[in-house]
Amino acid sequence: MKITKMLFVSEFEELWLDALQSLMGLRKAGLNHVVFLHVIHREKVAMKRGTGYLKQEERKLREIADIRFIDWAETLFEEGMEVGAHIVIGNTVPKILSVTEDEGVDLIVTARRKRGKLEELYAGSETSDLLRRTVKPVLIYNYLSQSGKVGENPFERLLLGLDWSVSSERVLDYVLALKGAVKRVDIIHVLSEKAIGKLSKKEAQKLEREHKKRLNEVCDVLTQERFDARPHLYIGNTEEQIGKGASEHRVTMIVLGTRSKSVWKERWSGSVSHALAERSELPILVVPAETK
Amino acid sequence: MAKKVLNVEDDVDTRTFVSTVLEKNGYTPILAKDGEEGMRKVGEERPDLIILDILMPKQSGIKMYHELKTDPSLKDIPVIMLSAVSKRTFLRSQEALTEFGDETVPEPQAYLEKPVEPEDLAEILRKILG
Repeated sequence: MKITKMLFVSEFEELWLDALQSLMGLRKAGLNHVVFLHVIHREKVAMKRGTGYLKQEERKLREIADIRFIDWAETLFEEGMEVGAHIVIGNTVPKILSVTEDEGVDLIVTARRKRGKLEELYAGSETSDLLRRTVKPVLIYNYLSQSGKVGENPFERLLLGLDWSVSSERVLDYVLALKGAVKRVDIIHVLSEKAIGKLSKKEAQKLEREHKKRLNEVCDVLTQERFDARPHLYIGNTEEQIGKGASEHRVTMIVLGTRSKSVWKERWSGSVSHALAERSELPILVVPAETK
Repeated sequence: MAKKVLNVEDDVDTRTFVSTVLEKNGYTPILAKDGEEGMRKVGEERPDLIILDILMPKQSGIKMYHELKTDPSLKDIPVIMLSAVSKRTFLRSQEALTEFGDETVPEPQAYLEKPVEPEDLAEILRKILG
């Protein structure tokens, strides 16, 4: 599971060259090819009564995107990177999926994407939609809302959230492939208060010991590969505790897996990775289940 | 027999423009929309000259140029770069690729920055292909 090719999706409102450059630490993990994608929303150029299809507007929007991508590409080309670009018209998520497939990328980088309130109520946000539909890892990357700045290297200190599911194994494999780009990994597992509450003291201690053992095993795997890794067992609401862990250990990014739930099941029962992807100020790397 | 010119370009309008210039000047255009398809067409068609864009999907013109010029059987095919990417960047990128262990590559026969006038392109084609 190597990361050699990355798709960088930009609408030129949320992700700029500084965000892209902050990801260049991934070159140490094998990244050598960046593909830019800009999606011109269909409604911006769609047929309108009295004017027809806005061909001139399409040409203008394509030209603007082209000028920006050429500037970014020049920076990367001069560093010996391979660069490609797609400027397409349509809906963001389907276009991300088709370019991902067409180019065979290993990582999708995108900002958090919202829809109109009514559309979100029925279809969820574009971010959740993308996470549901792709099998490729997605890095949800936003400017920190207060400062308007990106961190220097989001891959430097990771908080790796594990729930011991099959997707956890895939997340661990993915982190191992980031060797060279990552300085430290804090591994966290969150026990629910509910699970502990029903147990006797002895049983609770036993459960705690089991989870610590598993955390230490993961830690050993990472240490053998020369990562600086630390285990942490937290208790409480998973989403809240992961946020707390991220802040306590001053991580630069949260890494989580997703289970392959059905759309409806996920919408009713919720998903920690999707919820964090929607709300966290830190970048979130979501590694989906292998099949959808 | 008309000489074959491969135009590797992802933008439809530019592809059409270059094809028209080629046909008007008696050359046979062969078209490819990215570097990957371009390399395939080079193998299939053995063009007499290649007009190459840089920023394209799948494989860039920078990589394709490097591949052409480091392949003994293809390195003598003349190449005209036609791109909005600056020549300075192109040359630096070739240097960067060389730094990673590949052999040095020569400069292209011509480097044209977009947009290009049809008569300028035609003249360069005549100079190279006769």
